[in-house]
Amino acid sequence: MDALHGFKDVQSLSFQRPIIRRLILGSYWVVILFAIPFWWRLTSIERIALPSNRVHAQLEKQPVFPVNVQLDGSSFHGRASLLASELNELLAKSTRTSTRWNNLDIHVTLDQNAARSVYTVAVGNGTVVRHPRHLILSQDDASSATKIADVLTGLLAPEASSRVQRVVQYSKRYRLAFTLLNEDVTSDQLIHNWDIHHISPVLSRLSVLHDFLIESQVQFHAPLAFEPVQIVSENSTLYGLTPEDLTVFVNSAEWTLSSSVSEDPVLHFLLFVPSSSRRPLHILDTQGSPTQHAVFLLPQWGGIYILNHLEHVGTRTHLTAVDLSLVFSAFVNQLSALLGVSDLPHGVKSDDPSILSDWQVDAVLRYRALENIVETQQTLHSIVKLVDQIKNMPVDETVRGDVQNALTALEKAYQSTAGLPSTILHWSREALSSASHAFFNPGMLALLYFPAEHKYAVYTPLFASIAVPLVVALGRELHAWRREHRTTAGKLVYHIQS
Amino acid sequence: MHWLQHLSRHCLLLLACLSALTLAIPQEERVSNFFGRHTGTSGHTNNWAVLVCASRYWFNYRHMANALGMYRTVKRLGIPDSNIILMLADDTACNARNQFPGSVYAKAGRHLDLYGDNIEVDYRGYEVTVENFIRLLTGRVDPSVPRSKRLLTDDRSNIFVYMTGHGGNEFLKFQDNEEISAFDIADAFEQMWQKKRYNEILFMIDTCQANTMYSQFYSPNILATGSSEIGENSYSHENDNDIGVSVIDSYTHFVLEFMEGINKTSQVSMQDLFSSYDPVKIRSHPGVRSDLFQRPLESALITDFFGGVSQAEIFPVIEDADTTTQHIIRVSSPDHVVPPDPVSPQAHNGQDFDKANATAVMPQKDAVALDVRWRDIRKWTSIVIVGFLVGWVSLVR
Repeated sequence: MDALHGFKDVQSLSFQRPIIRRLILGSYWVVILFAIPFWWRLTSIERIALPSNRVHAQLEKQPVFPVNVQLDGSSFHGRASLLASELNELLAKSTRTSTRWNNLDIHVTLDQNAARSVYTVAVGNGTVVRHPRHLILSQDDASSATKIADVLTGLLAPEASSRVQRVVQYSKRYRLAFTLLNEDVTSDQLIHNWDIHHISPVLSRLSVLHDFLIESQVQFHAPLAFEPVQIVSENSTLYGLTPEDLTVFVNSAEWTLSSSVSEDPVLHFLLFVPSSSRRPLHILDTQGSPTQHAVFLLPQWGGIYILNHLEHVGTRTHLTAVDLSLVFSAFVNQLSALLGVSDLPHGVKSDDPSILSDWQVDAVLRYRALENIVETQQTLHSIVKLVDQIKNMPVDETVRGDVQNALTALEKAYQSTAGLPSTILHWSREALSSASHAFFNPGMLALLYFPAEHKYAVYTPLFASIAVPLVVALGRELHAWRREHRTTAGKLVYHIQS
Repeated sequence: MHWLQHLSRHCLLLLACLSALTLAIPQEERVSNFFGRHTGTSGHTNNWAVLVCASRYWFNYRHMANALGMYRTVKRLGIPDSNIILMLADDTACNARNQFPGSVYAKAGRHLDLYGDNIEVDYRGYEVTVENFIRLLTGRVDPSVPRSKRLLTDDRSNIFVYMTGHGGNEFLKFQDNEEISAFDIADAFEQMWQKKRYNEILFMIDTCQANTMYSQFYSPNILATGSSEIGENSYSHENDNDIGVSVIDSYTHFVLEFMEGINKTSQVSMQDLFSSYDPVKIRSHPGVRSDLFQRPLESALITDFFGGVSQAEIFPVIEDADTTTQHIIRVSSPDHVVPPDPVSPQAHNGQDFDKANATAVMPQKDAVALDVRWRDIRKWTSIVIVGFLVGWVSLVR
């Protein structure tokens, strides 16, 4: 009859036997169940544990820099030991109250064979610092412990000036971009060349702190973006820059000041030659009266020198080293100010003013090392905090490696505080660069945030259409199996009863 | 609840004023002997701008014009090109449908070509992605990325972040295929704060429901403003018949118009800008969020965010080194002429600005908790419903 109607009995088909059907259904479920761990593994974010305990322990630590100052016993005529103990007390007090230098531990001794980076103090004519790390005090300055302590504090722990803002952030490398700007060469004269060699003595002194790359250029058309004020008096006309003008002096839209080949921070030094129709160009005070200044500094950016006086005037001028000596001494001053080198304390001279003294360089070294250490501690702390706070931020092996390197370098910096300041700086720099490297790891980009609604909206159309038949088939199969089970059980009961 | 919020806001404001006052006095004394008065400033030394146009295609011409208008303004006010990161998701200037090749105009009369001959687009076309934007902000870029595509800021940088495109409640579409959420930007700013990558941020956004985009911020020193409230559209301002599409959005148009009255040394404050917002003209309700910002808006200058350098120091030459010490000058002088505001801030501000302030109230903590709980309830309800449906279908023959 089945054959007559063209239908087969469903039960008689080999693939419709219950056991085969259940196997097929089961295999689907087995695949899904086995896939779950893989899915879990592939969609979870790799977050390796960071050494957060070590980082928190680091935050408590403060490096201490021991500094040994040795008094020359012979020149203090017997009162040296008394002076030393007084000085120790005074210096300890002044460093304790300083916010910047409370990690400095100054010891004044009479001991001849102290460590090699020792600073020596003797009495002579006039207060002078001498290479390397000698201080000669005048009779007047050496008269009391307070005066000596003042000089020593000024040299070893110079107070941050109010202009701490102008100091650039520490970097291993800086590019110094020297630019000679002719405002308008068409007017009468052109400065086409200049010799920039004056800056090397200072750079070599600072080479323990930074590496410098120097680039220079001459521009022939450098218009100002504003009109300087014209001031006419009885016998002369001059042009003035108001304080507001100074802040907008650099015409960044039209002057191309440095190439952007590397990521090193750039310090700019501009020598601006006003066109002859706008000379002399002076800086005005707020009352609008001209001052003698022609040099100014933009914090963290660089320095500007306005060249008003040209000695020998010709149509084509080459500025020689002699012409530029004043300009470059100003640039050197600005450079050291931008790099955070403190001036010698008032009343203290240097036997060679053209270079920086060891006292100054050491103070910067210590300060930069301290700054790097604090910065490293804060960066490491931020990493740990952010990883805790942002749950979908991945953390991989390289990040942990960098964090560990930073911690190791910090330890080494602490251990080397008694040694040369340059060694501490080296390790603090290593620590900071590792910590920054960890923070800026490109792999640490937090995955984008999706609200739960978005997830349902995306996944439901995909998975619901697969899940419904699978679950329904499972349910039916179970149902069928249970009924079957019941009927066979019922039959069994019936048999026993009969 | 409301009076509590107001009270806390007022207390904060008072505190900020007091601290500013105590800080200002010694500095004032120091400077006054040479250059006279000086007002409280933001303590930054450099300015950066990140300008993002997130939508592509010709019919979104106006979004590119928005970003380019801002680009022109920040450049005019003194931010150098090296400190401006311009992201344009499409190149309308060179679009085949552009009647005026190589030009982009933001006004119907086509008087000012915003594209010009001196423009630096840092991220263009398909480079404008959510990922690249987040990488740019957080600094987590590939080592091979050139300097011009990096935000090399430090703790002395003020950053102006401007975004425009199509958006909705707490998201902004990028390139028509992905979106950035308010949470992503908030997290990115927090990471920047942690790594000391900014001093202050001004966040400005022009999109539909823009004010929701800054609702999630939680890092300090951020001032945020947007073009429209939640559930409200931002509209375009005008069409140009020859270009054939809208050329600028309304909110950006009025901000730029205000900016035209500003020059590099203006003393106009952010409060003046916010007071100039006119919901009737803009056709949406711009919002301001200043609870994270530490300074009073009256003392935050426009040029603190749109300008270049804020201070200069006279430096002695060797000859006169002994006679004078160095002095600081700030861009402020009592007798400086403030240019007239084109939009006349006094005209409308009254209740409109109150409204803008009201939208700026930070979500309260328990409100957030409630929100989270409500989300959970919805999630589980939907799971139960789906489960119920599946069970029902399987049991009913």
